[in-house]
Parts: sequence; structure tokens; C-alpha cells
Amino acid sequence: MTINRQDNFSTIEDIEIGKAFLEQGYIIRPIKNIKDLDWIRNLFIKLVRKNLTIKDEVNDGNLFDLIHYEINPSQLNNFRLSIIKEMNATDGFRYRYYQVAKSYLEALVGNELAMQSRVNLSIQLPNDASSLLATHADTWSGDSPFEVVVWLPLVDCYKTKAMYLLPPDKNLNLNKNFKQMSGNNSEYLFKSIESDIKWIDINYGEVMVFNQALPHGNRINQENETRWSMNCRFKGLFTPYNDKKIGEFFEPITIKPASVLGMSYQHPKL
Amino acid sequence: MKKLRGYIFSRYFLGERIPQYVQNLVLRDYCDKKKHEYLLSATEYTMGNSFLALQQTLNDMKNIDGIVAYSLFQMPELQIDRIKVYTKILKSNKELHFAVEGLKISEKSDIDRIENIWLIKQTLPKCYQYSE
Repeated sequence: MTINRQDNFSTIEDIEIGKAFLEQGYIIRPIKNIKDLDWIRNLFIKLVRKNLTIKDEVNDGNLFDLIHYEINPSQLNNFRLSIIKEMNATDGFRYRYYQVAKSYLEALVGNELAMQSRVNLSIQLPNDASSLLATHADTWSGDSPFEVVVWLPLVDCYKTKAMYLLPPDKNLNLNKNFKQMSGNNSEYLFKSIESDIKWIDINYGEVMVFNQALPHGNRINQENETRWSMNCRFKGLFTPYNDKKIGEFFEPITIKPASVLGMSYQHPKL
Repeated sequence: MKKLRGYIFSRYFLGERIPQYVQNLVLRDYCDKKKHEYLLSATEYTMGNSFLALQQTLNDMKNIDGIVAYSLFQMPELQIDRIKVYTKILKSNKELHFAVEGLKISEKSDIDRIENIWLIKQTLPKCYQYSE
């Protein structure tokens, strides 16, 4: 895919980000507003300690990576849902989530945005098969192709502790041969793309923005540490919506004055 | 406690659209009331007439007791395709629940009841309509 001449209006950094996103299907970049990331991490430490009985001497530094010593898979989903509920109800959380990716979202999506109403949380314990996401593209189940996902890890993620994504060039082949390659069960689809997928390697302090129209998912975490990551969808406010509607799934976050005027404009009465 | 995999739609079915989170709420509530364990839903693909997610769920039932769909009207519109779904469920000794209608298929005799409702639903648009 090529960038057209209009990109001369963009900064060099934005052009570079756009190219990488189109070619790879994602970008991983350092978080510029690091104090916002620290705020989010501190909120999580507070919520985890509130929802689990953890000895005071357990170090905050290892709290997330080693949480599997404090919780088992059967308790995990209720714990996760409690954290999701509380983090989304905390004033300033969604604002800071936006802030950690703001400059990249402006480069890739725009500056007049809709944001998913609730940020999601994934916690993947080592060797736990209960919280897997089979290969899917969000667009296959009702997301608009105009959306991107901001994926924010609270720990370093690598190999099976991370997620995978099918690169854009490989996805063309899948789209052409979807019926044969998807097969009759979720494992069949994974097997048919396994050799082409890209495992994401991302550290705490970095953020990923990826194209959710590309197939992605996770496998059993075979590393010795637990994965903690959040995900949230963003899109241009006035771009097409699919099954995830404005109001029930998305909320406007940066309406610009010209749009405020335009939406309420009326011609003079004759 | 039976483990039931949720099944929801991301597109219209018989002219109706229900937000996905509402479908999930109904499934969770149904499972709570019936004392079943609700497992994260499979979402049917948005592409028209696709039942790929349903097929995949039917083929991934090894460690579960069945499927709970939001509505029975999320089954394929062709009767022959619906019967294939019911047959697969019963042959595997599983159950197929429909949360909104509060119905289920766990034995062969349940199929007639479900199919009668389906056929009536498909016939009604062809019947006399009146407006007040």
C-alpha cells in the first residue's frame, strides 16, 4: 500500500507511523505521557490489593507478572470482571487511557474521536486455557473497519504471553480463500494461518495500536508470567458505525467546535 | 451445573437487532436463573447468511454441555439447516437453549415445539395485517 501525495501535509513522524501501520497492521511506540501510564498502573495496584488478599510484603514490581501465585483460574473471571467494573468507574481512567495513545491516534485516526465506552482487561495466567480468544477479526462480529484498537500492557509481553496478528499481506490470501481456510472449528482456522502470524513483542511503557480487521487472538500462555493487557477501540467520530453503535458502545470524546456548530446548524427561515 | 457456551448475533435476525451486550446480559441472567455455568459467547459473523461461528461452536462442544443462543430465531432460516443443527446437538448428547424464549432442545420431541414456533413466525408476515 502506498501513501498518496496528500501526506505531504502531515509531519514526518505521522507519515512514518502511517506507513508502518499500513504495512504491518500495527504500530508499537513508547508512551509519551508516561505519568498517565503510571497513574493507571497505580490504580491497578490499588484495585488488585482491594480485590485479593495479598500480603503487604509482596512487591508491587512483581504483583502483575506473578499474580498466578495469588489466584487460580476458577476465580479469575469474577476477579477480572470486578477490576473492569471498578477501573471504568474511576474518574479520569478513560481520559488517561486516551492520553497514552493520543499522538498516535491523531496520526492514524484523527483528532475528532469516538472511544469505546468500557475499556477491556485481559488477564492470562500461565497454562490457563479458560481465557483464550480464538482467531478472529473484530470486523467479523460487528465492528466497523474504521476502528482501531489501542492495546496497553501492564507487563512486558512476549511469545505466548502476548497476542498474535495476521499481517495485512497474508490476510489478503485468507480473505480470498476464507471458506476453505476457516474450516469447521476455531482451531482449523488457526492452523491454516499459524505459519504466517506475527507474535507481538511489547514492553511495559509501550502502547500498540492495531488494525482490528486483521485476524488476531491468543494461545495458552506457556511462559512463567501472567499477561495483563487492556484494549479499547477508537474511531473517527463521523466515520461509519457497524453493529457497535454510538451511544451504546462508543462515546464521543473530542467533538470539535465546527462539528458542534454544524450539527445544530439551520438555514434562516424564509 | 451444566456448562453452556453463549451464542449471539452481530447482525439483524428476522428484522431484529439487539446490542451484543444486551444479548450477553440475557444469556448471563438465563444461566444464573437456571443454575447453569455461562461460558463466554461465540459471536456469529456479520457476513450475511453466515453460520460459521455456530458451526465452529457445534464442533467445539467436547468440554461443554451445550449451547445457549440468545434467540431461537438466530438459527438458520432454512428448516433443513436447522434440523442439521438440532441433530448434531442431540447426537452429541448436548443441549441447545434459547434464552429469550426460555426453551431448549434436549430430546427429539422438543424439536417439534421449536419448529412450530419457527414456522408460525415465518408465516405471519404473509398473513392479514391490520392497523388501528
